[in-house]
Amino acid sequence: MSLLELSGLTAAYGAVAALSGLDLAVEEGEIVTLLGANGAGKSTTLRCISGLLPPTGGEIRFAGAAIAGLSAERVVRLGIAHVPEGRRIFPGLTVRENILLGASNRRIARAALRRDADEMFALFPDLARFADTLGWMLSGGQQQMVALARGLMARPRLLLLDEPSLGLAPLIVQQVFRIIARIRETGTTVLLVEQNARLALAIADRGYVLETGRLVVAGKPDALWNNEDVRAAYLGGKRLSEESGAR
Amino acid sequence: MAIILQLLFTGLGIGAVYALVALGFVLIYRATNVVNFAQGQFAMLGGYCMVITTVDLGLPYWLGVVISLVVMALFGALFNLGVYYPLRHRSFLPVVISTIGASILITNLVLAIYGPEPTTLPGMTDYPGISFGAVFLDAQYLVIIATTLALVILQYIFFEHTMVGKKMQAVSQDKEMASLLGINVTGMIMLTFTYSAVLGGIAGILVAPILFVSVGLGAQIALKAFAASIIGGFGDVPGAIVGGLLIGVAETLGAFYISVPYKDAFAFILLFAFLLIRPQGIFGEKIAQKA
Repeated sequence: MSLLELSGLTAAYGAVAALSGLDLAVEEGEIVTLLGANGAGKSTTLRCISGLLPPTGGEIRFAGAAIAGLSAERVVRLGIAHVPEGRRIFPGLTVRENILLGASNRRIARAALRRDADEMFALFPDLARFADTLGWMLSGGQQQMVALARGLMARPRLLLLDEPSLGLAPLIVQQVFRIIARIRETGTTVLLVEQNARLALAIADRGYVLETGRLVVAGKPDALWNNEDVRAAYLGGKRLSEESGAR
Repeated sequence: MAIILQLLFTGLGIGAVYALVALGFVLIYRATNVVNFAQGQFAMLGGYCMVITTVDLGLPYWLGVVISLVVMALFGALFNLGVYYPLRHRSFLPVVISTIGASILITNLVLAIYGPEPTTLPGMTDYPGISFGAVFLDAQYLVIIATTLALVILQYIFFEHTMVGKKMQAVSQDKEMASLLGINVTGMIMLTFTYSAVLGGIAGILVAPILFVSVGLGAQIALKAFAASIIGGFGDVPGAIVGGLLIGVAETLGAFYISVPYKDAFAFILLFAFLLIRPQGIFGEKIAQKA
């Protein structure tokens, strides 16, 4: 049984179809990446899984249980954390408060909550200096680190990441992706939506390419990267073999 | 000098009442992005609860206060369910119209039951007050200022030092993100309405012995409180408090030195001045930065 299984998933914004029959599976412990052009339905897929957008049809199963149409509050309690596009740090709360609130899906004693937050500051040492800084004062890279830390505070089995590299300097992007790889090593499964296909495929175990709400092709990173049609249409850039250093 | 101190004291007392109602405006605005135009009616209901329990039923004053606060809390929850919750996914305007409708309904229900005659509520204590030379500190005004101060401190502790307070702040800043973290958004908004109704009720209970308890009480206070929250910088908690006090002092000084019949005008003259010179309000920049 896969950890996450989508079958025939359809979704729409008003009258506009965003997903038309998507099948997708994520196994426990994998990093799976969703690729595709703008408007392909990548973010919509994540929003359906996390309960922000009720799907119009199809099934979502998480660890065997049907979760399609559950509220976001309930989905995160089942162990799916969604770090949405744009980071969405609470601007008027401090970094520490943002991180503490990440555990809102769990019943947890105050002392244990502090301990978990301290663990996050150990995992993201750059954030320790900013613990008492308000969210709106952070740079994009710092906000992304806070968003990741806040997502991990939910102790998710599955972490949904939407465009973690968006708007960040190349050096920071490298750092973010190193952290994502490390997150998987701790046993958390990751479903990653990313514009930067090169980086995403470098850390992913498998990838799916979407086009206008449909699955075009799925497979191992090398296979996707070497598929000429896919590369020309959706991925762009150089061959993976030239990037082997990034792995 | 004594006269100025006396006027300042009176102004701060009435201003504290405006501040409490303004706080209710601000908290609901921050949680739901909607202005609750029935906030003044909450104060009126608090006053009537006191009249019913202590005057009509003859219960002890403290018991009347407790019952009134419980009734206001329940009323706030009911108000949320009936007036806000069904429209929560709609834009600003339908919800605002809904709160205006509720305020008209509440006012006319009270009118139907109690009639247009104003009634009075005795003060919290028989003790008249303290004299400092020529300055007389009236007991009811002291109660108002002390209660408001205590509430502001308690509220600060609640919002800044408890996880529930943090969750309420998170909901007011980004509801979708809050729900993704597993925060019970509906529950937090319910709590906000309940608390705002209690705040309004307390304002009504405090001011009832000074003003008459009448159906017009709500609108009378709410207009000043609304002006106060704009002067403070709409959506800003310290701003609501400072704005309320400022209006209270301005209208008291204006009534004494300029004109008693035009007492109610001074709040709005101050509001116009702010809208012309500093439209973002006293604490306005913070909001711009947060955007």
